[in-house]
Amino acid sequence: MRFVAFALLLALVALPLAVLPSLPLAWLAVPGFIIGVVGVIALSVPLVTAGAALALIEYTLALTITKTPVDVVTAAGFGAAVFLLLQLVHFAGRVHGATIGSAVIASQIRHWLAIVGIASAVTIVLTIGAPAVRLALTGVPLPLVVVAGALGALVTIGGVIALARR
Amino acid sequence: MIWRPTPLNISFMTLVGWALFLGVLTGRADVIVAAVPLIVALMAARRAMAPPEWQLTHEVSSDRVFEDDRVTVTVTLSARTSMPLVELLEPLPPLVHLEQGCNHAFFTLRPGEDVRWTFELRCAGRQRLRLGDAHVRLWEPLGLVAAETRDHQRTTVAVYPRVTRVQRLPRPARTQTFVGNHVSAVQGEGIEPGEIRPFTSGDQIRHVNWRATLRRGELHVTQHHPERNADVILMLDTLSAVGPDGGTAIDLAARGAASLAAAYLARRDRVGLIEYGGVLRWVKPGSGRAQRERLLDTLLRASVVFTHVAKDLDLVPRRVLPPQALIIALSPLLDARFVKAATDLAARRFDLIIVAISPIAPAKASVARSPVADVAAGLWALDRRIELDDLRRRGLTIVEWNGADPLETALGALRRPRFRSVVAG
Repeated sequence: MRFVAFALLLALVALPLAVLPSLPLAWLAVPGFIIGVVGVIALSVPLVTAGAALALIEYTLALTITKTPVDVVTAAGFGAAVFLLLQLVHFAGRVHGATIGSAVIASQIRHWLAIVGIASAVTIVLTIGAPAVRLALTGVPLPLVVVAGALGALVTIGGVIALARR
Repeated sequence: MIWRPTPLNISFMTLVGWALFLGVLTGRADVIVAAVPLIVALMAARRAMAPPEWQLTHEVSSDRVFEDDRVTVTVTLSARTSMPLVELLEPLPPLVHLEQGCNHAFFTLRPGEDVRWTFELRCAGRQRLRLGDAHVRLWEPLGLVAAETRDHQRTTVAVYPRVTRVQRLPRPARTQTFVGNHVSAVQGEGIEPGEIRPFTSGDQIRHVNWRATLRRGELHVTQHHPERNADVILMLDTLSAVGPDGGTAIDLAARGAASLAAAYLARRDRVGLIEYGGVLRWVKPGSGRAQRERLLDTLLRASVVFTHVAKDLDLVPRRVLPPQALIIALSPLLDARFVKAATDLAARRFDLIIVAISPIAPAKASVARSPVADVAAGLWALDRRIELDDLRRRGLTIVEWNGADPLETALGALRRPRFRSVVAG
């Protein structure tokens, strides 16, 4: 499981560099990879999350700097890799040193692939529905959208922390 | 059973937050798309889950074992409803080591499916082992929600003190009336030849000693000593304990007592036990297999019960401490109350042997190794030798045993007069 997690982590940090091979991006990629590798070795979800977050920032920077057209397929693959990486590390951490029943691994893989499949379907729906959203937001100033999005993200994170502490 | 979100939710939410924030900030839709699998997973995990129905049963290979024996534990999990992912943890009691398999397992079960899980334990110390207090954690398949509970299916395993073979046992000075393996001091029917005396009316012809008769010119007969059993009382000092768990002076004493009890019972002697500690417990002398079980059960419970009150052995009924019995006291001789009790017994003409268990090695094992500890142990050993010599001068028969060497080796150093000289004296 660790090898698969390493491969996913490598793909996550390498993808932005493939989009924009540059030194500034490597300054983000290297610490992200090191933190992620340490997380995979120690089977620590928080460290892998930090590594994945750095990879996400790196990916965003690469897309913003290059101004490439929107590539939904690559983005969905990036998201699926992040999801699988976290799931793998979390599962490996839980079952480390334990006896695993014969059906457990197959069942887990089925569930993970089901989520990836549903996410792909949702992405297709969003891609088809995106022009309608664009029409709905026509005329809304960009700073307002940005502030609303940022507030939404902060409220979401706050909600999760409160949920976890309950 | 309450389903609770796991810390993995924080990781997912953090990444979702970053993706949404960066996507909106930069106006890149593909960054937002990257968060979709995580959002889908979070939403899928939010579904209300009905508590599954299951049954957990524990079986052990044996409910009575000796120290260092292995016990195979078989856990059977039967699911009545679907269990996507269940985690079982069987906590290991102290002094129990996992030898084979694992006490932690994960299973996925369909409705009506059973799963068996086996692991092997080694019990390093005497105790009444309680198994079957399993921790059960039910996981939502993505690990975002979990529910915990405990299953109480107590299974008890008695771990008795280790019994080692002792062939050369201390001879009792006095015997009882039943047939046994000890040569009695009295004359009677037996196979052990005794003194030769002139023939008197009533003597049997088969007892005539023809060699002595020919030499003396008149009939002489050989007297015999019958083989009789003996009463042996094992006295365990539980006033103080020194050493690490499973290797205290009391544990060593319990092992010694169990070995002696097994050896004497095998010789058809009656064996009793007195636990001299904060609580005075006893097992009256008896023989046979049931008595062995009784003694082992009592040795299993032997432990320190703190008290300032010195128990008087006069409290012990006469049938538990018969005057003809051989008393073998196993003690580290650390508590003056036990030394006084032993001295009193010897003064009352009881046939007493003290197996002095060295507390130095157990004490050293419970502290970090250092030159200071070595010097202290050396000084303690010298001090102890002086104390034991003093007790010997006061008429006590003392055998030193360090607990590591076989008890038989220690008992081999015992020099006791044979029964004839004891009777003559």
